[in-house]
Amino acid sequence: MTMREKIEAAAAAYPDQRSAIMPALLIAQKEHGHLPGPVLEEVANILGVERIWVYELATFYTLFNTEPVGMFHLQLCDNVSCMLRRSEDLLRHVEAVLGIRNGGTTADGLFTLSTVECLGACEMAPVMQVGDDYHGDLDIARIDALLERLRATVGKATGADLAAVAPPGE
Amino acid sequence: MPVSLRGTKEEFREEAVVSVTINDQTLEVEAGSTVLQAAERLGIEIPTFCYLKRLPALASCRMCLVEIEGQRRLQPSCATQVTDGMVVRTNTPLIDETRSSMLDMLLANHPLDCPICDKGGECELQDLVMAYGPRKSRFHDIKRVFHSEDIRLSPVIIMNVNRCIQCQRCVRMCEEVVGAVALGTVEKGMDTAVTGFEGSLASCDQCGNCVEVCPVGALMSFPYRYKARPWDLVETDTVCPHCGTGCQLTVGARKGEFMRVRSKWEHGVNRETLCVRGRFGLDFIESRDRIKRPMIRRDGALAPVSWDEAGDFLRRRLSAVEGKAVGGLASPRLPNEVLYQFQKLMRTVFRSNNVDCSSRWPTSLDVLGPLVAGFYTRGPLEEVIGNDCVLVIGGNVTDENPVTEYLLRDAARRRQTGLLILSARPCRLDADANAVFRVPPGGEAASLGAVVARVMGPASPPLPGVDFADVATTGAQAATTNRGGSDRLAAALLEGRSVTVLVSIDLLRSPERRAILEQLNNLLQVLRALGKGPAMQFLFDRANQLGAWDMGVLPAALPGLSPVADHAVRESLEGAWAAEIPSEPGADFDAMLDICDRGEMGALYVVGSDPLITYPDRQFVKRALGAADLLIVQDAFLTDTAGLADVVLPAAGYGEESGTFTNNEGRMQKVSKFREPVFEARGNLEIFDFVAALRSHALQPSAQSEIFGEIAQLVPAYQGLTQDRLGADGAFTKATPTAPAGEFLAPPPAPSATDRLMLVTGNCLFHNGYLSERSAILNTVADDPYVEMGEQDAAQLGLLNGDQVVVRSAQGELTVQLKINRDFPKSLVFVPENYRTLRLNSLMLRGEYPCPVEVQKAHEAFEIAPVTGPEARPEIFTP
Amino acid sequence: MFEPVLLRNMDVADGHLLSTYEAGGGYQALAKALREHTPDDIIGLVKESNLRGRGGAGFPTGMKWSFVPKRAGKPKYLCCNADEGEPGTFKDRIIMERDPHQLVEGMAISAYAIGAETAYVYVRGEYVLAIERLEQAIAEARAKGYLGTGVLGSAFNFNMYIHRGAGAYICGEETAMLDSLEGKRAQPRLKPPFPAVEGLYASPTVINNVETLACVPHIVVRGPGWFRGIGPDKSPGPKLYCLSGQVQKPGLYELPMGISLRELVEDHAGGPLPGRKIKAVIPGGVSAPLIPERGLDVGMDFDSLAAAGSMLGSAGVIVIDDSTCMVKVATRIIEFFHHESCGKCTPCREGLDWVVKVLRRVEAGQGVPGDVEELEALCKGIFGNSFCALGDGAAMGLRAALAHFEHEFVAHIKEQRCPFH
Ligand SMILES: Cc1cc2nc3c(=O)[nH]c(=O)nc-3n(C[C@H](O)[C@H](O)[C@H](O)COP(=O)(O)O)c2cc1C
Ligand code: SF4
Ligand code: FES
Repeated sequence: MTMREKIEAAAAAYPDQRSAIMPALLIAQKEHGHLPGPVLEEVANILGVERIWVYELATFYTLFNTEPVGMFHLQLCDNVSCMLRRSEDLLRHVEAVLGIRNGGTTADGLFTLSTVECLGACEMAPVMQVGDDYHGDLDIARIDALLERLRATVGKATGADLAAVAPPGE
Repeated sequence: MPVSLRGTKEEFREEAVVSVTINDQTLEVEAGSTVLQAAERLGIEIPTFCYLKRLPALASCRMCLVEIEGQRRLQPSCATQVTDGMVVRTNTPLIDETRSSMLDMLLANHPLDCPICDKGGECELQDLVMAYGPRKSRFHDIKRVFHSEDIRLSPVIIMNVNRCIQCQRCVRMCEEVVGAVALGTVEKGMDTAVTGFEGSLASCDQCGNCVEVCPVGALMSFPYRYKARPWDLVETDTVCPHCGTGCQLTVGARKGEFMRVRSKWEHGVNRETLCVRGRFGLDFIESRDRIKRPMIRRDGALAPVSWDEAGDFLRRRLSAVEGKAVGGLASPRLPNEVLYQFQKLMRTVFRSNNVDCSSRWPTSLDVLGPLVAGFYTRGPLEEVIGNDCVLVIGGNVTDENPVTEYLLRDAARRRQTGLLILSARPCRLDADANAVFRVPPGGEAASLGAVVARVMGPASPPLPGVDFADVATTGAQAATTNRGGSDRLAAALLEGRSVTVLVSIDLLRSPERRAILEQLNNLLQVLRALGKGPAMQFLFDRANQLGAWDMGVLPAALPGLSPVADHAVRESLEGAWAAEIPSEPGADFDAMLDICDRGEMGALYVVGSDPLITYPDRQFVKRALGAADLLIVQDAFLTDTAGLADVVLPAAGYGEESGTFTNNEGRMQKVSKFREPVFEARGNLEIFDFVAALRSHALQPSAQSEIFGEIAQLVPAYQGLTQDRLGADGAFTKATPTAPAGEFLAPPPAPSATDRLMLVTGNCLFHNGYLSERSAILNTVADDPYVEMGEQDAAQLGLLNGDQVVVRSAQGELTVQLKINRDFPKSLVFVPENYRTLRLNSLMLRGEYPCPVEVQKAHEAFEIAPVTGPEARPEIFTP
Repeated sequence: MFEPVLLRNMDVADGHLLSTYEAGGGYQALAKALREHTPDDIIGLVKESNLRGRGGAGFPTGMKWSFVPKRAGKPKYLCCNADEGEPGTFKDRIIMERDPHQLVEGMAISAYAIGAETAYVYVRGEYVLAIERLEQAIAEARAKGYLGTGVLGSAFNFNMYIHRGAGAYICGEETAMLDSLEGKRAQPRLKPPFPAVEGLYASPTVINNVETLACVPHIVVRGPGWFRGIGPDKSPGPKLYCLSGQVQKPGLYELPMGISLRELVEDHAGGPLPGRKIKAVIPGGVSAPLIPERGLDVGMDFDSLAAAGSMLGSAGVIVIDDSTCMVKVATRIIEFFHHESCGKCTPCREGLDWVVKVLRRVEAGQGVPGDVEELEALCKGIFGNSFCALGDGAAMGLRAALAHFEHEFVAHIKEQRCPFH
């Protein structure tokens, strides 16, 4: 399906096109990696809604990236439950091994590192989400192994296939 | 309990009262009022930021919190509905403390850069902190900074986000009142910022209402930036000169130099709003082509001379044409007093009824007169559109009368008024209408006829004074036009208990103007007979068009719109004026042009009008004007027409003489003088005296205030008005509609369906004629000259948005940029009449409208970047 | 030993598949409801059961449903709140991942009760697996006629859709969720009009939490008496408790409402980590004021916790031991609310920013005398004045930390450093 078709299909769930802006942006982001102005404009045209509405949502919700991100977006939870399980140590470690600061992207464009609010998986704190998948009960050794697996998948696979590599909730 | 904003008309009508006690004072208010409104009634002040009378309550700033007995938390008074027996306190220590801490929090991140803030001295944050704020802030951490440089959102709007207090008035204004949906809010929490798409407002209406309602110095007017301190300004309340909505506004000038315009908030039809023309389009008075001195034509060229020389020249030339025909044209943008005096001058000094006030179309007074006398509602638009149903006919109200459109949108969205639109041109308001009847250009009369027939359908009771035989034929006729449209409209009209009809004056462009007005008359009669007490107002695009009619600047009507032919009226006026009035109706401007063309016009006197750029068939108009023995032009600006004149008299411009306008509502308002006429210009009245004197006459009275007095005496609708009683909101002229003869007139056949492209014209949002075109600011925001057409037509012609195209009629052609408009119906082509450089009228023929055209991609060779802006020069030499 | 109700399929292989669910008697509640009960009966049953909302506020579910106007006209909507943003909470995710049909059936019955033909499940965007499983469940259920036109041959039509969130805690606030569903920036709405009267698309709308809706089938099958028999009469039922933080056995526990917090933490979750002592526990997600160790003998139900000055909230139980700096915990919690404030109202937007700046300073050892008073003053300015409960929650949390651990704040300011490292 083209992006337009996907968006139109998603819009069918609502009586009002404006409701479909969020789903449309999620679709557009899968398509384009991030959401630059022209993409927002395209979404507005497909749905026939005001483009400022699209722009508002693209900036309000944290899962939308108006700036490019690396191939693997490492989202490390640093909320209370994970903090109590020493997520900071992991943050410092990842910053060190990838040579980037929180919020940065590696030169090879592979990894973007962000701390995020509670991922709703505190039973496996500390937790990190990469792409679609959760990785829990992390410690330094597990993180290193995970980064290795991610590197290994490059070229062979991208985002979607990662489930294969790292089963959810591992 | 917060107000539910989706009240039904019934709720609005509901009369029930409830009693509330605030700070131990008890009063009764109508159910549904908020605590804030009740407090206002008691004169108890409650500070607010996010609250704005005409917007649904947001209740986000929390400045207006009050104590309500029995409620755990403090409640926002702006959004809390009074319930019977409610006990409220606004004067407790807790409230003081809460207000102070809200302000402390707002100041924590506020830059406090008041010394360089344009809002300084008229800032709501400053004022409320002074009144309720802490004397010293506990905050001693680092302030949030969004950006160090202000952001230029558009040529006229600049933003300092650091100062924003997130009241969201601007964004709501833009979406809910103006309907532009250009401003929005990005990010969330602390990073929340107001801006346009991708940080730009380049393609918004530029109405600046967001700037007006911003309580702080966040959204600012760029043209006014760093220009003055509010307390340095001499402010004058006056009326906008651009369209007939007649918005009130306040002009700020410094040492006689125009600085800015702001709204008056509590007053006028517009209250806090204005459109781009009113807010940013008054700088035209500083236009470079103001006429500095009188000029006379010597060996083919206009030469500057003194008033005396001009006088001598004019006296000689006038006596030379003694006995030949004389004619006069005055602009409906001039004040009532000037217009009244002009027709008096023409009628008594030049002994001619050849006077007119439209340089664009003939006014068919025989049909118009009865219509206005019979149905025109002189009353507040706010009330007029409170009816169940409002039908807007013709034109494009969004562009022609923007502020009227704001009110209509509000009526449709929040007052449950059923909005109906019948027009050839689409407009933004269509989106808020219950039914839109898009008629073929030129099909207005037939379509109206169809609606009348449907409204009269078998169901309806026999109507006094309406002959059913005719109705049958009407119906038959109507069958030939768009059924669906007329059915929907008719159904809605029958449903509504009360109906209002608003008519764009733009309809008079059509050679079928008479038929259109007749069908309008039919419709109103039927609605009246059905007991829907129809209200009617015209939507004029000229500031004082109704005034011009009332003042009798018409060939067949005297002041008060009474027929020249009416002996009694004429006699009483002759008595009052101590002068004779010709008994024969005169020639309208169209006929005057013919007289000129036949070489029979001795003198043509044009005041504040530029027919050469506006009247159809430029070639003909130019020839005709040239053929008049003596062309006198009295104007503030060197117009194209002035370029052909024999004598040019520099007149006071807007704001350089005082007087009154009568707006679309029939509201008479003061137009104030805020500076002396520049250069050697003189007041229009003074110039009339000057001209009369040349004919050894003296016009009595001759001072504006005295003329006002005479109008208030002799013009029925104006009787009893006094200048001081005009007050802040003006005063309404009165005319009890007198039902016209119940004759029922069959409509003309619908235009035979054609797939030819039909060119129509009218105003665009940023311009409405020769004043706006001289505004440097408007020219920075207005689009370049353009032609608009629908997607389908463009596709068929292989044209893309932005292409340079040639628009060609039998008479001529022009080259402009193409704007594709999704909402345009097939075969409709629109070019705004407001771009002098396009000479649009050279494509048009007299008596033909809409104008059949062809559109094709401009051959590279033809592509000429159209000249616009103050640089645009008339096609004549300039002194 | 309490036999699990909501979690009974948790550890069953393929618990998320329709076959498994049906094998365990799945969808018989729906069949029963349609066969034996009128919509009003169902509302009656739920009222009788005293089921109270599991999303945080603990509002009686049956009563909420009865606010929906009976008259036809506008369509009615059911919205499931699966935004689960409250830090320390993960129960809804696990239900959707491991036993999604339980939710689907609960929603079908609830929609039938309130007369809704359309439902939206607002799932937070990060829950990709949960969304996949729920989508699969909806598809399976539709194929079997549990959803769609004429559910199980009855006259009841019902469709449900997933609306995927995109990261904003405020979307959990029911009216903000409605704005988000309408494609707007998620910001709370004025109440009244209440959603039950004027909610999604200005139509009557009921919003319920995942766990709340999951309780419904069991109430229909086993009867309100059974439900009421579990835990305190005023807030009864099986309850999911999310344990996390510095405990031996973090995880999701299903136990009766009203169980003592101490028992929950020390017995079921295995108590503090080796060599550590419990210092404080947050009983209901970070919006709930923390309870110092000495207060742990409190019943885990809406009323007992309210009486103890805290709240059950989302039952996200976060255990904090004596190795942890409370200033740091407080700072992190306020940073969260600060980051998630929608920005609509002044106290929450500006007040929390101010609070965060002060807390960060104090934690970094740059506090100045008067900071504690300043924080208290700010809490006063925010609490009760913010537009929605987000601001309140933040202020309450900080107040509790200041009340019980002021000495730690003071120490930071005195010593100009964090005593914990
Ligand atoms: C800031 C805020 C966040 C909330 N987050 C959630 C949430 O993530 N999930 C939820 O079910 N309820 C949440 N709520 C409560 C909802 O507003 C609402 O009360 C609840 O979903 C109603 O469902 P219930 O009656 O079944 O509990 C939140 C409330 C507030 C004020
Ligand atoms: S308290 Fe105010 S700013 Fe905070 S989330 Fe609620 S409405 Fe938004
Ligand atoms: S004016 Fe009432 S909350 Fe802003």
